[in-house]
Parts: sequence; structure tokens; C-alpha cells
Amino acid sequence: MNTYYLANLLIFAGVDIVACLALNLQFGVSGVVNFSFIVFQAAGAYAAAVLSMPPDTAPDYSFQIYVGGYQLPFPLPWVGGAVVGALLALPIGLVVLRRLRADYQAIALLVTSIIANTVINNARPLLNGAAGLAAVPQPLGSVVSDPNSYQYLYIGLTAICVAIVWFIAARIVNSPYGRTLRAMRENELAAGALGKNSTALKMSIFVVGGAIAGLSGAILVGFLQVWAPSTWLYPETIILFAAVIVGGRGNNVGAIVGALLVPVGFEEVTRLLQRMNIGPPNLIPALEWVCIGLLILGFLWFRPRGVVPEQRRVFPGAPAVEEETRWVVGKGAR
Amino acid sequence: MSLLIAAFGFGLVSMSVIALAAVGFTMQFGITNMINLAYGEVMITSAFFAYYLNQARVSVWIAMLGGAAFGAVFSFLINRFVYTPFQRKGTALLGMVIVSLAVSLMIANGLLPIVGYFSVSYRERFSQLLRFGDIALTVNQIVIIVLAVVVMLAVHALLRYTRLGKAMRATAANPMLARNCGIPTQRVIDTVWLITGALCGLAGVVAALDSDTFTISSGAVFLITALAAAVLGGAGQPYGAMIGAVIIGLVTELSAAVWSPDYKQVVAFAILVLVMVLRPQGLLAKRGALAAAG
Repeated sequence: MNTYYLANLLIFAGVDIVACLALNLQFGVSGVVNFSFIVFQAAGAYAAAVLSMPPDTAPDYSFQIYVGGYQLPFPLPWVGGAVVGALLALPIGLVVLRRLRADYQAIALLVTSIIANTVINNARPLLNGAAGLAAVPQPLGSVVSDPNSYQYLYIGLTAICVAIVWFIAARIVNSPYGRTLRAMRENELAAGALGKNSTALKMSIFVVGGAIAGLSGAILVGFLQVWAPSTWLYPETIILFAAVIVGGRGNNVGAIVGALLVPVGFEEVTRLLQRMNIGPPNLIPALEWVCIGLLILGFLWFRPRGVVPEQRRVFPGAPAVEEETRWVVGKGAR
Repeated sequence: MSLLIAAFGFGLVSMSVIALAAVGFTMQFGITNMINLAYGEVMITSAFFAYYLNQARVSVWIAMLGGAAFGAVFSFLINRFVYTPFQRKGTALLGMVIVSLAVSLMIANGLLPIVGYFSVSYRERFSQLLRFGDIALTVNQIVIIVLAVVVMLAVHALLRYTRLGKAMRATAANPMLARNCGIPTQRVIDTVWLITGALCGLAGVVAALDSDTFTISSGAVFLITALAAAVLGGAGQPYGAMIGAVIIGLVTELSAAVWSPDYKQVVAFAILVLVMVLRPQGLLAKRGALAAAG
């Protein structure tokens, strides 16, 4: 196993973990079905790219057109990616999360994802259209020139981001705020009756998740050095949903397990299969998507709470209500 | 001015295509309470089914019927073997949205190795132009308009004047009450899936015929336009979907004439956003997309 492959694997794993933690905060903890998640990752990636690239009039960059080009030093593009992800969440959240029913929110977000891709694909002057951005400078690329040690540096940077995001996510899940989010997920009406403003709660987690998604995009683009509309089509969101569902909705460990099992493990396996040249060239990738769909259906059917189920949080002094008796009472048998 | 009148002519065609798609989608939601995000993929699969019939030297109009039949059977099977079991299991509405999205993904990618990425088109397209003042339409397009009008009238007649239509409306209003009144709701729902599936398949072939060339990725576009029309009219309301189709068909074609055809879907989306901000329940529905009180 060479270093390049190892670096690839670890960095993709880091990006997927960050993304899954963010999606878990929205979908798992708060019940916001964000089908446009990948748009926030893309926004962060584009932002980090144009913040770190020189203006498109520079000699080596004149083959593409884009807005911005500020050549900011390293941590700023990543911070910028997170900020743009958060800012993008504001208008989308204000339109979608305010009055709509939950299932409509999901559809509206899905449509948003498809349309955003169409717009960026067609509007070339904005972000170079369908061809996308290329030759994005590597963060700290000028400091460490040896490619081998640079890869270790990048793994380190990714690991630091994963640690920060994990810390934030853990704090959110275990705080009273996280408890309120879970209350909203379980029963929005009851949470509202207790004076919790569900729109504000959803907006806040939408913005937090958007920021983390933006950061994940920034990490990804710094490593890939290219970013185009074809890398963030809406099915990419579904892979992350599959990861969170498989790992276990509503808990951070589950999100990480899911990220390691589905986007990382699954795609590595299919990449290996592809290298063995079985069948026509697009057979394996297509079958991979079919399997992702089967995985979602299978887990929702057989193990809806995932590999690492969310623990039931029981508070001392709470009246003990067993699952079974609740069911019987619900049926009106007594 | 003549440009706008010509665009109006295309608008008539567009609204016919969208209406065919949106009415089926909205009936699935209204009567069986299922937001079927695989609708666009069933449309494109039916279009490809008709394409292969057409390649085997079947006339395109007969292939269209074949596509409709395929759509009916396919939708029925999806509902029978995926959606109904999950609904019986008590999967929440949001869970069903995820299930249907997973199904959509599986259909699109299951189809991909068979049909490939290439864009294809039906043979023997009737493209001689007929002129009515500034409006110039092909024979194809006129048949599409007539077909849409006939199907809309048929849907109207079905819902208003038949026992089955009455049972459908009762099931949509309150399934439990309908069952208690002796309506076999399960059979009604099966029939709804067959009928809406036929509409879906027909709409797929018509949309593919209208857009000249189509690829596997056209499914997502079909879905968005149907969704926009359905939500605009008030989801679950067949007449609302027809009105939504008229508005979206006209506005997108007019915008394509004065602005750029690349942004047709973006305009449809802008209308959708406006509706969601200003009138989330849609034009006709009483509650529709609005959240439950509280």
C-alpha cells in the first residue's frame, strides 16, 4: 500500500466523517431531512477554491473564468468555506423551513439541490460552468514542497478538523440544546407546546450543519484541487443519508461508523471491483448505486436504528414506561 | 410580438406535457398519501420501453400505449412490493420520502447499464409544420395537445361521474371512514396506482417525444416540472395540477423566448419558491403544504 493511496483513503474518510456528523446533526438529531446537503458542501468547496486562487486574469489561470480570486493564506479559505456554507443556509432555510410541512421541506430541498446544480452548470461566468474549477492551490503548498511529507501534513490538517467537528457535535448532542432538538424530532407539536420555537431550532441547526458541510467541502477541494458540478449531483447526498441510516441515526458514533462503512468502505470495494474490469465500463458504478438504494431500504426495513443505535435517554425519576405497555395502551386494549 | 405568440404556441405543448405528468403525480399523493419521488424515473423508463418498441418498427403511437401499459404495471409493482409493505410497517411520511428516493436511484442506475448514457430519439417523427398565424406547430405537437385535453377530460369524468372516482375521492378524504363505509380501499389504491402509473408512462413517452432527444438523466427534469406544477396547484389536487401545468408551461416557454432556454427549469423553480413563500398550501388546497398547527 503506497502513501498516496493511504493518504487518499484517510482524507476521504475524514471528509466523509465531517459531512456525516453534520448531516447527523440535521437529519439524525433534529429530524430535518436535508436533501440539499451536498449543495452546502459544494458551496464551501467553491468558496475555499476562489478564496485561495489568484484572480482569473493571472497567466496560469486565464483558461477559466470565476468570481473572486483573493489568494488568501491557508486557514482563511477553509474558514471562508464554513462561513459561506452557513450563510447559504440562511436564505434556503428561511424559504423552506418556515411554514412548510416536513415532507414538503424534504422535496423542496431536493429540488433546490437539482436546480442549484443546473444554475452553476449553465452560468459559466460565475464559477466556470460545467468545466468547473481546476488548479486550486494546495493549502500550505508553498511551505512544504515534498509531496510525501505534504500528504502527511494534509492528513494532519484533516484530522484536526475532524477533532474540532467531533467536539462541536458532541457538545451539541449532549447539551440542553441537543435535548430540545431531539424533543422536536420526536414530537414537534409537544415541543411547541412547551414553548420551543421549532422554526428557530431548525434554522439554527441548518446553519450549524451548513457551516460544517462547507468546511468538509473546503477540505475536499484543497486535496482534489478540482471542483465541478458533476462532483456534487444530488445522489451524493443520498450516499451520506445511507451512511447515517446504516450507522445509526441520532448519535455521533453511529455517524462515524456509517461514514466508514458506506462512503469509504463501499466505494473502496467498488473501486477494486472496477479495477478488475468486469462487464461493461459503467456496470459497476451503476450497480453500486443500486446497492446503495438496497442498503437504505434494507436498513429501514430490518434495522431502522442502524448498526449503532441511539441510546434511549432515561432520566432518573422519570415514570418507567416500557415499550410494550405503551404499544398496548396505544391500541386501546385496556 | 410574433415571437411571444410563437412562444405561446410552444407553451400550449409544454403545458400539455406537464399536465399529463403532474396529474398522475398529484393523484398518487392525494389518494395514497405517497410522495413518489421515483415518478420521474418511471416516466423515463416507460419512455425507453416505448423507444425499444419503436426500434422494433412499432409505430410511435402504439409504442406510446405500450409505454403507458408498462408505466401502469411498473408503478403497481413498486407500490405493491416496496411502498405498501413499508407503509404497513408504520414508516412515517418522511421515511417514505427517503424510501421513494432510494427506489428512484435504483431504477435510474439499474437502467443505466441497459440503455447507456447516449441520448436517443424516436424514429418516424412527424415534423411537418402546420401554421396558424404566428403559431407554428408540428403534427406531433398537435397530437400531444389533443391527447392531453382528452386525458384531462377523462380524468375529470373518472373522478366526477364514476363509482370508482367517488371511491377514490372518499379514500383521499378519509381512508378509515371510507373503509368503514364498505369501500375496499386497498383495491381502490391498487387501481389508483394502475391508473396513475399509466398516466406516468404516457407522460414519459410524450415528454420524450416532445423533447426530441432524451437520455437517462431526463428523469430528474421530468420529476421537477411535475413536482412544481403539482405543488403550485396544491398537492393532491388534480385540478390544481392542471392549473399549475398551464401556468408553468406558459411561463417557462415565454421566459425561454425572451431570456434563455437553458433556464427553463430555473424559472419553474422560481415559481415554486414564490408559491412556497407566499402561498404554501398551493392555489387550490386548503392545507396542502402548510405545517400542522402549532
